[in-house]
Amino acid sequence: MRIIIFSWEYPPRIVGELADYVKRLATELVKNNEKAWVVTYHDFLTGEYDEPEGVKTFRVTNPVHTHIGVLTWVLTLNQEVERVAANIYYASNKQVDLIDVYDWHFIPAAVTLKRALAIPFIYSVESVEEHRSHGANSPFNMSIKSIEWLGTYEAEKLVVKSEWMKEEITRIYKAPPDRIRVISPKSENWIKDILETYRSSGATA
Amino acid sequence: MNRELSVMMLTWEFPPRIIGGISPHVYNLSRNLAKHGVKVYVVTCDFPGAPQHEIIDGVEVYRVDSYKNPAPDFATWVYLMNMNMQKEAAALVHSLGGGIDVFHAHDWLVATAGIGLKHVFRKPFFATMHSTEIGRRNGIHTDYERMIHETEGWLTYEAWKIICCSDYMITHVQWAFEVPPDKLVMVPNGVNFEAYAKKENEDLSQFRNKFALPQEKIVLFVGRLVHEKGAHVLVSAVPKVLEKIDAKFVFVGNGYMRDQLSDLAQQLGIAHKVMFTGFLDDETLRKLQKCADVSVVPSLFEPFGIVALEAMAAGSPVVVSDAGGLPEIVNHEVDGVKVYAGNPDSLSWGITKVLTDEAFANRLRANAQRKIQEKYNWDTIAQQTKNVYETVLNEYSKLPWARKT
Repeated sequence: MRIIIFSWEYPPRIVGELADYVKRLATELVKNNEKAWVVTYHDFLTGEYDEPEGVKTFRVTNPVHTHIGVLTWVLTLNQEVERVAANIYYASNKQVDLIDVYDWHFIPAAVTLKRALAIPFIYSVESVEEHRSHGANSPFNMSIKSIEWLGTYEAEKLVVKSEWMKEEITRIYKAPPDRIRVISPKSENWIKDILETYRSSGATA
Repeated sequence: MNRELSVMMLTWEFPPRIIGGISPHVYNLSRNLAKHGVKVYVVTCDFPGAPQHEIIDGVEVYRVDSYKNPAPDFATWVYLMNMNMQKEAAALVHSLGGGIDVFHAHDWLVATAGIGLKHVFRKPFFATMHSTEIGRRNGIHTDYERMIHETEGWLTYEAWKIICCSDYMITHVQWAFEVPPDKLVMVPNGVNFEAYAKKENEDLSQFRNKFALPQEKIVLFVGRLVHEKGAHVLVSAVPKVLEKIDAKFVFVGNGYMRDQLSDLAQQLGIAHKVMFTGFLDDETLRKLQKCADVSVVPSLFEPFGIVALEAMAAGSPVVVSDAGGLPEIVNHEVDGVKVYAGNPDSLSWGITKVLTDEAFANRLRANAQRKIQEKYNWDTIAQQTKNVYETVLNEYSKLPWARKT
């Protein structure tokens, strides 16, 4: 399988729980002899590219340095994520099976890549704006929600970590339950279930 | 090339959505490129009542839902709109089997969509810089402005060639973004002079009466009522003109300075000689331009100055400030009059000269008409643009991106 993972946090840049989780996943994929690339953000702690534990890690930065908020920052940064993913795609003879996107940040890039190059994507949900902002509905929150909705609408599959989150995603975004996979990181079958989800979303073994 | 050249234009405005000068520019450029055998796809924002897809004069127009995502402010709206535009454009190119040769973006308003499409499809990318934030605001003062400024810089970085409509803008863009000179190409803006052709038996005297008394000359200003357009300079020039000749000063357009301008006219005691019409539709505006005894463009910042060309096409003598692209359009006392920017005395001198010397005014009219037809017609401009595409495609064909894998 050839998988690109998008995550806005990745070690050594750790914001929440996502960074370590995505690192564990990418390392596990490589151990299972799957081809995995990680595309993430760097704020000068790291270079543009390295291969810690065999994980091909691309780090992009934002060409627009000045921002008025996290939304403009994320939306412009998406173009660099998209550019690097396109470079991976062309450099590997267009052999990319799937993109696995963590949370809302890089959904715009994943959606364009899907429409342009027919690469399907999985939306892995760590948290949603409804919970983070405690139900606030300012235009700022609504913008983020609209991007999360786009992710649930365009993704092949949604991966969540608990039954509770599955219910929430269904409640908030009306995502069809049969497209949602609950995979607990603590489960013994964790990586097996992830690989199975990738396979059923279009990745070839 | 075996098949016809194809281009995808990205623009945030296209008729019937008209906000500024980009809309008519892209419309005229696209349909004239189509006349030259170029297949043009325009991807633009939607507009109430306008179809999602239509073919206009051979141009394929696609309108994308641009208000799908709520946004806290204009700039965020722009980036979100770009996300939707990019998504739809990507699907369209995919459905055409990738059959787009070049992407062409107009201003920062479609920058991120254009940059994304360039990289996912690996095609030559062009940007027309119609204006800049640093020029519009006369400097960069806030984070908001700097963000737009940096987005413009990024757009010029990603573009293979940057097209500007005047030598002034070439110098300005080079200065503002430190662009290598060989990336910049000047292709003038055009005017649709057929639209101003004299109609048979056209009698505009009734129409004229709506704006001025028969003994009053009409001095016309067309533009947004914002500082950079210099409407306040014209209002300040009114008393001196009235010392020499009776006239009505008609201001077409809207803007945040409208109340300020009315107040200024009150203070100067000339409110009865000044008229604010607000926004006028194209047909009414063209008639008014034909009636104008002089058209004034007193801009302090003006990337090109299309309004001067339109006045010239309508047969109205022009008085323009010596700012931005305007001095390139007007040859002083040959096809128009140039005055000092921001100087009401100089402006009133120019207006008075045109209004009091009829032979002079007629000479300006005749020379201006000739210039418009030779230099600023869309047919020539489309051909020049097509040449820019072809030159770049030739360079591109030798590079790795052109290799089909």
